[in-house]
Amino acid sequence: MKDRLLMIVFILVLGSILTISLIAVDNYTAPIIKKNNEIKIKKSVLDVFGIPYSKDTIEKVFSDTVEIRKIQNKTFYILKNGDIAFEIKGSGVWGPIQAMIALKSDKKTINAMVIIYQEETPGLGGRIADKSFLSRFKGKKVVPELILVAHGKAKGVNEVNAITGATLSSKALQKIINTNIREYLPLIGRM
Amino acid sequence: MLKQIKNTEGFKTIANGLWRDHPIFSMVLGICSALAVSNKVDNAIAMSGGVMFVLIATAIIISMLRKLIPLRVRIITFMIVIASFVIIVNKFLEAFFPIISLALGPYVGLIITNCILMGRAEAFYTHNNTWLSVLDAIANGIGYSYTLISVAIIRELLGFGTILGFRIMPAGWTNWVVMSMAPGAFFVLSVFIWLTRTLAKQTPD
Repeated sequence: MKDRLLMIVFILVLGSILTISLIAVDNYTAPIIKKNNEIKIKKSVLDVFGIPYSKDTIEKVFSDTVEIRKIQNKTFYILKNGDIAFEIKGSGVWGPIQAMIALKSDKKTINAMVIIYQEETPGLGGRIADKSFLSRFKGKKVVPELILVAHGKAKGVNEVNAITGATLSSKALQKIINTNIREYLPLIGRM
Repeated sequence: MLKQIKNTEGFKTIANGLWRDHPIFSMVLGICSALAVSNKVDNAIAMSGGVMFVLIATAIIISMLRKLIPLRVRIITFMIVIASFVIIVNKFLEAFFPIISLALGPYVGLIITNCILMGRAEAFYTHNNTWLSVLDAIANGIGYSYTLISVAIIRELLGFGTILGFRIMPAGWTNWVVMSMAPGAFFVLSVFIWLTRTLAKQTPD
């Protein structure tokens, strides 16, 4: 009986000490982690708008140029000329894909896109994050729908050349863009 | 003189961790993380640092408490001590090395299940004093690290043509995509285990 009591007391005491130290670590790191995530988003917004910045000026450049507007829990980043950017996400082949997309003020044409996070196959699907691929989206219409076609076949204003050898990643990206746009466009219309 | 050094407890502990009872190729512990995060050298270094820190911290706590820990709850004790330090490492990486933290993904958390930690706690830290335990932790940590980093050097070189992000292979080098994916880890690690076991003249049990 005494042994059992000792066991419980031991685990309780050790557990409490460790819990307290974890709370302390969490209190110390939580604001830094929050700031890291904010900077990550701000970077991608400035990147997608093509606004130059440096590590030290990022906060100032962002607050000077970009206006943040929230509609129904969705965040929109708006430039003075009417360009609008927002985050899109969905599943890729191996893991989630997260990107920032910027539309021109007509709200139908893609101006630019940057990938924030992806875990596609390096060298194949991983090329969705390459500038050379993302630049293919410039000027393409997202209405009624964006279509990724086999390389070299893109003709229409809503068709983009996919990556050869990475059909699944290309299809995944197409689906992510279209489903997110369908969700966001009505909200933009209410602005 | 050399013989005297060779017979000390400390020397034996280090030699065991680095070579004779090497965690990966002799005891085949910690394989999962060695396979998962060895595709780039910087990931391997971060992971090694994390494992090393958790090993040393666990060694200190467990060996200091070894006379107090009730036998029947020792596994729970190891678990909560290891888990706490892993969470600390994870938070630290998230706060100060966000990019590496993102690349390592869930594997930092999985240090908890890294059998090296439980194995060493059960086999060594509960029976030895703090000084020897810390020595054992360092030796095992280095043993794990040099395996992980050498596998990562081969995989990053062949899979991306770079080491630590610096271009090594000439322009026009075709990346071996398989090396940067999970199967590449199996190939390289098994060749590594084969070579080191042959060198150490060990037979599989």
